[in-house]
Amino acid sequence: MGDFRSVLPLCEGEQHVIAATQHLVKALRASKNLDDDLRKILSQLESHLSGMTILSPESRGTGFREFEQQFKWAEEKIRGWESNQSLMWDSDPLEASEYLKAVVEIQTLVEGLQRLSMSGSRKQKELLNQADSILQTAMSRLEEELVHILVKHKQYFDLGNMSFQYYGKDVVYDESFVSVEDMRIEEASQRNNSGNESVDCVPDLVHPQVIPHLKSIATVMFASNYHQEFCQAFVSVRRDALEEYLVILKVEKFSIENVLKMEWDSLNFEIRKWIRALNVIIQYLASEKRLCDQVFGDLGFLNPFCFVEISKVSLLHLLNFGEAIAMGTHKPEKLFRLLDMYEVVADNLLYIDTLFSEEAGTCVRIEFHKLLRRLADSARATLLTFGNAIAANASTSPVPRGKIHPLTRYVMNYIKTLPIYCSILNVLLKDQNAASSNPVVELENELEVSSMAYCPMACHLRSITSILEPKLDSNSKLYKDCALQHIFLMNNYHYMVEKAKSSELKLFFGDEWIREHIVKFKQHATSYERATWSSALSLLGGGRAGSNSTSKTILKEKCRGFIIAFEEVYKNQTGWSIPDPRLREDLQISTSQKVVLAYSYFIGRNSADIGEKYIKYTTDDLEKYILDLFEGSPKSLQRSRSRRN
Amino acid sequence: MRATDNQGSFLNRISIRRNQVVSMDGNHEQDLEDLELFQKYVADRFSDLLSSSSDEAADSLLSVSWLRKLVDVFLCCEAEFKAVLIMGRDPSQVSKPPLDRLVPEFLDRVVKALDVCNAVSHGVESVRHYQKLAEIAVSAFEQRPIGDGQVRRAKKALNSLMLTLEEKEGSNHKSAERAWSFGRRGATNKDRAAPGQFRSLSWNMAKGWSAAKQIQAMSANLVAPRGAESSGLASPVYIMSTVTLFVMWALVAAIPCQERNGLSTHFPVPRQLGWAHSMFALQEKIAEEWKKKKEKTRLAGLLEETQRLERLGQSLIELADSFQFPAEAERLEEMASQVAELADTCKKMEEGLVPLQQQIREVFHRLVRSRTEVLDVLDQVGKVSAPSM
Repeated sequence: MGDFRSVLPLCEGEQHVIAATQHLVKALRASKNLDDDLRKILSQLESHLSGMTILSPESRGTGFREFEQQFKWAEEKIRGWESNQSLMWDSDPLEASEYLKAVVEIQTLVEGLQRLSMSGSRKQKELLNQADSILQTAMSRLEEELVHILVKHKQYFDLGNMSFQYYGKDVVYDESFVSVEDMRIEEASQRNNSGNESVDCVPDLVHPQVIPHLKSIATVMFASNYHQEFCQAFVSVRRDALEEYLVILKVEKFSIENVLKMEWDSLNFEIRKWIRALNVIIQYLASEKRLCDQVFGDLGFLNPFCFVEISKVSLLHLLNFGEAIAMGTHKPEKLFRLLDMYEVVADNLLYIDTLFSEEAGTCVRIEFHKLLRRLADSARATLLTFGNAIAANASTSPVPRGKIHPLTRYVMNYIKTLPIYCSILNVLLKDQNAASSNPVVELENELEVSSMAYCPMACHLRSITSILEPKLDSNSKLYKDCALQHIFLMNNYHYMVEKAKSSELKLFFGDEWIREHIVKFKQHATSYERATWSSALSLLGGGRAGSNSTSKTILKEKCRGFIIAFEEVYKNQTGWSIPDPRLREDLQISTSQKVVLAYSYFIGRNSADIGEKYIKYTTDDLEKYILDLFEGSPKSLQRSRSRRN
Repeated sequence: MRATDNQGSFLNRISIRRNQVVSMDGNHEQDLEDLELFQKYVADRFSDLLSSSSDEAADSLLSVSWLRKLVDVFLCCEAEFKAVLIMGRDPSQVSKPPLDRLVPEFLDRVVKALDVCNAVSHGVESVRHYQKLAEIAVSAFEQRPIGDGQVRRAKKALNSLMLTLEEKEGSNHKSAERAWSFGRRGATNKDRAAPGQFRSLSWNMAKGWSAAKQIQAMSANLVAPRGAESSGLASPVYIMSTVTLFVMWALVAAIPCQERNGLSTHFPVPRQLGWAHSMFALQEKIAEEWKKKKEKTRLAGLLEETQRLERLGQSLIELADSFQFPAEAERLEEMASQVAELADTCKKMEEGLVPLQQQIREVFHRLVRSRTEVLDVLDQVGKVSAPSM
């Protein structure tokens, strides 16, 4: 066949060189110390060389026949498996590698024959058609094997260390006034163990043992130009695995409409699941990425596309839930969850940027950045709503017994949960300030930034209490009794100070604020004493008026008046309440000091003039009775008086 | 035309003028002028769309590039609408009747549109899957010389494509998964299509969510303002609602979506109103297409490229069935021309689908932002009635 010469003019010498090179390449490929790149180059070279030899005139005679024999062998190998129902890598990995060898033979033949298809003989064309057909059979088979291996050797990593039970349905928080107090501790412990312990270990999503199998299938399919089929199969199995994993994580699908209508309890529950899912999924994707790298390795540009295809649908799903939450109403109780969500996205953002650093992943990256901004906006709006809600609070009836107003309790406990979010809040609030403030103020902030009491969150906390204070003042006006107004204010300011002095808040409120507010509640204590006792005590005062009968009568009247006044106070104020025992004790002691002292002085000086009959109570009695004040259970001295009478 | 062009926009004019107006009562004459401009804007954009849809070559009706134009038109109208509704306006105007009812209704439609966006964007993912299968067929058919192997390869991909096009939601998937994990191989014919390989993409929206119902709900309380209302702010709200509804409807018709059974072919586009002429004409055309398709084949959507894949796929399968090696030149030619058309369609999809998906996402974000802005305005008015604790 002279025409061969014109296509591939090889002289005898070259034939020898090719044969020698082939031997060398073969020997080299057998070596174990080759890196993947070199191995790839060698395999390409080998296929080129063999293409050249097939077509050489020399090989036309004995060579071609030899090659036909080789083809027969490979064809039998491939066809042999066609009737076999079991899967290759399952039954015998050695057989599988024999199979791959056969596929490579066919591949080489096809490539070689294609190169001269136009000019080849009928026989060669026939052979090419057969080879092409058998190659298709093999590729179909490999695709099937690929899917099977991926499904069968799929692994999920253990969720055991991720405190799954914590999210059980029984742990549903009721963040109303009452339970908010206990919440913080659990929050803190949860936040600690949801941290990023993750990144250091990257678990395998497919048993490591089968990675070489996958890789060899990939290599062969890519070499035969079947990369589309390979990617399709690979992507769809892996995408399903990821979706399945979301199901394992109990992430449900909700429309945005549903999320917006959801009750807070279920929403809260779903948010917790989401936070956990996002953390886990990002770790999972690190494993996925590694799997892609292992399988596609040096097979080039398709790797990032496949990775994005695998993860995109699931991530969009998670993103949409986040968007829906950020869109919802800005109820104050949502703040903590929003901050949690913000935190988990912020923590993972760098990681997401790395995972999706290629151009194919741009959309995923951008979406997460957008979500982070949206969550930040929503959290800020919620903080604002919290302040507005305090300002809008309108009580129409006073709190019984002058106790702590639920609003005070709510606000302070709410505030108390914020410091664990300090760094996030500082970022959020700083952004906000930066937008509205002028550079001079900012400079000032810079200088004071070293002090915790001046960080943006601290300022915000104080600004919230400064909304609360006038509310308390106006609430106190609901009491008719001026003394009770002071008890109420004293109680509430004291409560605020106690909370502000707690270890969580102390640094943020700062000594100055605390001092100021201690002064406030002490002032109210003083005012209380004045309001309650000054008129009664004034009866006991006054100079000595001689010992005539008129003055005796006056003294008796004064004594009786004081006792009536005292009994009246007793009747009223035993029903009032100072919940804090120390504060109550302090006020009792200080009252005692003033009242009992004045009384005992008065009695001591005048007992002879008044006569024992009119001195109803001893100083010890008074002291004892004063200890009954502010206990919150109304008592009366009337009965004992009638008995005595 | 890109969304950023803002050609013929009066957005700037409004903002400049409003800034100059000191009176906060709102000026009726000015509102009327705004309304007229807005109507004209909408009319122009849709008449552009209509004229380009009749243009056979470039962006024929419901093609990927036409849908991209449609989404662009939506983004432009939306920007104008927001300018009319809130820019520089005294918030209290938005809270007066009838707007106190119409605006929340509008926002409700916006939320529904968000879910439609997600469903459609998911649907685009399915369309990309069609494209990938078609591409396999193209690269098989394009091999020279073509032999039995490549023809079988192409046929396998096309059969998969046909099955996927007809695939109903949720069908087949479980069984496919079972077959995979069973550890035994199924039928010996490995060139047969593998339909269930695309399980995850149908798991997209919430259970029970239905695109048809969503569209239905969006049109439910949509009534054209009458009498004095028609010259006030009620009109732009109505126009924008209709635009939103139309765009979402067209997208749902074109792209496979969860539960489209019973998608209405008609909703009240007020043909008597000038701005709606072109929209109405487009609706008629699309509804016509919808009716032409049989229930079975509607699943894949009316997207022009999808329909083309379906037609070419079918005919190439037939050609492949009668293929015999060595191929006759005549047959090869016939095949080549169809393959070229298939390749061209794939190319258009490759170029347009991902950008379309991104645009739909942009619509999503835009709607979210606008909703927030409108809510903020309502919030300013309703400060007094802030939620109490």
